[in-house]
Amino acid sequence: MTGAAQAGPRPGVAGQPPGKGTGEPATAIPGQPDMWVLVLFEALVFTAYFAVYLFHRSAHSELFLRSQATLNPWLGTLDTLLLLASSLFMLRCVQAARAGAFRPALTSACITAFLGAGFLASKITEWVLLVHGGHGFTSNEFFAYYFFLTGIHFLHLLIGFVVIGVIIYQLRGPARRSRELVETCATYWHTVDLLWVLIFSLLYVVR
Amino acid sequence: MRRADGELILFWTLPALAVIWVSAFLLFPGFTHPMSPSMTAAQVAGFYRDPAHLSRIRYSMILFNWFGVGLIPMLMLLVMQVRRMAHRTPILSYCLLGCTAGGPTVFLFADLFWLLAAFQPGRDPQLTLMFNDLAWMTFTAVVPFLIGQSLILALAIYLDRPDRPVFRRWVAHFNVMVAAALVPAAFTGLALSGPMAWNGLLPFWVKNIAIAAWIAVMSIALGQNIYRQRADGSDQRVTEEAVAA
Amino acid sequence: MSRTIAESVTPPGPPAGSRLGRIAWHWRNNSKRELWFAWYTTVVFYNIFFIVFFPVTHAQPPPHPYWSDAQVAYWFNHDHDGLIIGFAIIFAVAAMTAPQNALIAYSMRRMSVSRAFGYSYLVMYSLSALPGMLLLCVVLSVGALRPGRDPAQLHWLYDFGFLSFTGTMGIFLLGSLVWMLAILLDKNRVLPKWFGYLNLCNALTEVVVAPAWIFHRGVFSWNGLISWWINMVVFGIYTGAFITLLRNMILREDFGDGPLPDIKKNPEATASALAGTAQ
Repeated sequence: MTGAAQAGPRPGVAGQPPGKGTGEPATAIPGQPDMWVLVLFEALVFTAYFAVYLFHRSAHSELFLRSQATLNPWLGTLDTLLLLASSLFMLRCVQAARAGAFRPALTSACITAFLGAGFLASKITEWVLLVHGGHGFTSNEFFAYYFFLTGIHFLHLLIGFVVIGVIIYQLRGPARRSRELVETCATYWHTVDLLWVLIFSLLYVVR
Repeated sequence: MRRADGELILFWTLPALAVIWVSAFLLFPGFTHPMSPSMTAAQVAGFYRDPAHLSRIRYSMILFNWFGVGLIPMLMLLVMQVRRMAHRTPILSYCLLGCTAGGPTVFLFADLFWLLAAFQPGRDPQLTLMFNDLAWMTFTAVVPFLIGQSLILALAIYLDRPDRPVFRRWVAHFNVMVAAALVPAAFTGLALSGPMAWNGLLPFWVKNIAIAAWIAVMSIALGQNIYRQRADGSDQRVTEEAVAA
Repeated sequence: MSRTIAESVTPPGPPAGSRLGRIAWHWRNNSKRELWFAWYTTVVFYNIFFIVFFPVTHAQPPPHPYWSDAQVAYWFNHDHDGLIIGFAIIFAVAAMTAPQNALIAYSMRRMSVSRAFGYSYLVMYSLSALPGMLLLCVVLSVGALRPGRDPAQLHWLYDFGFLSFTGTMGIFLLGSLVWMLAILLDKNRVLPKWFGYLNLCNALTEVVVAPAWIFHRGVFSWNGLISWWINMVVFGIYTGAFITLLRNMILREDFGDGPLPDIKKNPEATASALAGTAQ
């Protein structure tokens, strides 16, 4: 992620020097196209994980149903609402940054981080409750998937905090305010949110 | 202050290291009469349980453990010589750097396995046999970094400018020969007796003599270079360039 | 060394003629020959690695972690020659990993970031071959060495080998993150940003493989659908990507300090880029 702020028309393809137009509108894709490569790749990998989960679920549906019943649907819903709200504020941050209103953008970014932290706290609480209830990573097949999927998502969310840090760093310094970079980071955050919605549906909702 | 300070001191650790290594080599009863892979578990256990052997095994291996990585400063001096060659990029010195990390570390693993075998000689002989096998296989067969070291050095010399080379051409040919001499040792697992066993002609004698010869020859060539470069001041300029690079 | 103008002092180009003649010309005159040496070594090594680990030794895909002592003993004895010969080849050629690490470290040296990135990567990955590959080779060779060995011991060697290979994670995890960070911060456009992000995916495969230390069967075991198969697909894509991108980097290299130029799209330009000569 280059930190250069560019005033002129931005290239549509990463790697092209500025000024060399490709004939396409410069903002056809929000943020770096490179980030979308990551998003697509991660989506594919997670799709593979979900497919494996569903396949094994169909083979052991009774065990999975029983184990799913021990999950706390309220905490799961809270998690989903927290992340959706955080995405909303991330959207507001991007809109404010586009309009040049950097103080409000900064505020929105901080609220996004705060809501994300709420998700982390809720997730950890849920894990602790489960483990204390006797359901750990190695308890049965369902919980292996549960902790794996929520764990790897948790990790992506932690990376998301680094990403928000990049946004805040960009928004604070007047020389650094790259709109492309803010949009790139927002893309990542939305992806993490989307992944959670899918995980939530698979693990908590689909019975 | 001369940037190249201390190089001579590092260089002259070599004779001291050689004395320690040769002493440890002669102290270890498994080297002076190289242990055969066809020894039975009972024989191997007996080797470690023999009171005349046990102390010698432990102390020689402790010595090797302390001083096994002692060759690294000399290897780094070689890396710096490669850095001074007329190459377009520093990539060959990076290659050499990578290889030199491997050799002493592999030797350390073998050393650990021998020490483990000697730690509880009263163990089940099958276990002692296994630790002994691990030590000998690691020591004998895991030669890639030594081969790589020699081949990279040879390549670097071949690619150096021909009119004022850092090392003369014969050093490169010598390194290629050493690398070739080490290759058979990789295949020692194929034989439990005969010339390809780990106490046999190729994996033990040829390999270890080649390594000793390499250390001796490269030390002399390196020493000549260091003194020559100090005399004409070229180490000072080139070192500064290398550091800035 | 702060040259900012690209240099080219080599003759115009290789002579038309036999393939051997052209290779000889490149060996003598190509200013990028060290880089091409490192690149071709990388490609050759991965081919050797694949052939040895998959068809010759059958160490990959890994056999099952839940086998009994007797089944493990059978696996060792059944494939004695393949194991010994295959790993002997690795013992001879494993230093081919050094030029690969050197080339990647060089890519970071060419970037606008601190030299510390390249050195960090070089040091981390130089050591990676030991626990991450050579331990498996030694341990499985020792296992195959004596067909009469106690099956319980063979099982210990079997676990040691496969767990060390699959389960050496930290070097690749942190090393990939170092490269990722260097690429994302780089202003010289040495490697594309999407590859920087792909490094993150590769680093995450090392997290995904961690359950292999815990599970004996199922999708998270050392040969499981998630911890091995899907992980290998990611790693394979990653490896194919960086081999291609490093080739592009060498083609674009101008030995300067600033941003790398793009590859020009006509055949003569590509030939001169290969040779490192002026156009």
